[in-house]
Amino acid sequence: MKLTGNKTCKAISEALWQSNPISKQILGICSALAVTVQLKTAIVMSLALTFVVAFSNLIISLIRHQIPRNIRIIAQVAIIATLVIIADEFLKAFMYDISKQLSVFVGLIITNCIVMGRAETYAIANPPMRSFADGLANGIGYGSILCGVAFFRELLGAGKLFGRQVVPDVFYEAGYQNMGLMLLAPGAFIIIGLFVWLEHSLLKDK
Amino acid sequence: MRNNLKSILFAAIMCVVCSLLLTAASTGLKPLQQRNIVLDRQKNILIAFGIITQDQKIKNDDIGALYKTSIKHRMVNSSGSLLADSSRETNALPLYIHIKNGTVRAYVVPIDTRGLWGKIHGYLAIDNDGATIKGFTVYKHSETPGLGGQIQSRWFRKNFEGKKITDQDGNFVSISIAKGKTGQVVPAGKQPNYVDGISGATLTGKYLTAGFKTILEDYEPMAIEFRQKNQLYLRGN
Repeated sequence: MKLTGNKTCKAISEALWQSNPISKQILGICSALAVTVQLKTAIVMSLALTFVVAFSNLIISLIRHQIPRNIRIIAQVAIIATLVIIADEFLKAFMYDISKQLSVFVGLIITNCIVMGRAETYAIANPPMRSFADGLANGIGYGSILCGVAFFRELLGAGKLFGRQVVPDVFYEAGYQNMGLMLLAPGAFIIIGLFVWLEHSLLKDK
Repeated sequence: MRNNLKSILFAAIMCVVCSLLLTAASTGLKPLQQRNIVLDRQKNILIAFGIITQDQKIKNDDIGALYKTSIKHRMVNSSGSLLADSSRETNALPLYIHIKNGTVRAYVVPIDTRGLWGKIHGYLAIDNDGATIKGFTVYKHSETPGLGGQIQSRWFRKNFEGKKITDQDGNFVSISIAKGKTGQVVPAGKQPNYVDGISGATLTGKYLTAGFKTILEDYEPMAIEFRQKNQLYLRGN
């Protein structure tokens, strides 16, 4: 886990593991509960968030010397909001069904603490490419947990993966039942909790 | 003072750039989005009729073709008579009919009604006996996800299939959403007119119930014709 060769690598490895936005910083939980019933929505949501956080970091970092200090938060929010709406418009045009399922949660990326947090703590003080890499890594860090949670929720809750049946019919005939709890928000809470526990205990060993 | 001016200038430039980007994205993608919306409605009408199922993987072109061959859009007036396509009567009611082998199998009434947070848009399909519900779909709503949002869920929609909008004597009573499980809270004789409610979404159910009633009342003269025709067919046997 020693990836501290340079600052970019450090930023990436931190976002993916040591301070993963969801399982270590416990940010972005709201959408992680809402869109993880199916793998498909989780992946699209992760892509949308990765796009937004990477480019907002890049843009904010590019103009970081121009942004007046007293209105920097407003400037960050305006840039993030613009990117989110563009992502939403693209989803509506090319993935209408999924955008309907994600409903308000794409729009809510604007208020996702991860995006704002990276802009304010990283992009405002670091050069563009490193900020872009940091944003990308944070998006992937968020996405990896999201997809992990969605994998278990869809598998245990519906017996499916990507909408395809994976639990064989023989199991159901033998009395196996889908776990309804996994389809509800508390199921996601439990799984995220287990992920947090796993990561913390693995980090402690180091 | 200098700093303030710089801030205002920066904010102004940023606003112009952001709005230009948003306008470009919005107008550039509009045709695609509108096509998606039309297809989504057609798909929902087909689902309400039970021609396709929710999970069925179906190509966009096929939806358009299927819709074209089996569904006709018609207008009726408040007394139940069919209007010509060209007529511009102000309170004409839209109607979709499913035609197969030259007979009307069922019709769909668009449900546009008030919900808790915003409008609920959906389709209610009724069999050609003018009384039995074939299916219900919601294609747009702004109810709370997980609570009222369940009006879009499979179990809630399945709930409607086979229910009646009339009582045993064939008089109109509409369809209502029960506060809980139909089997537990509704007397046996009225159960065909009730569907299971969503717990935690009493108000959504209330508004939807009221919406069904007003909308179906408007369509009632036409529904009566369907019921009578059906009676005639039965007598023929």
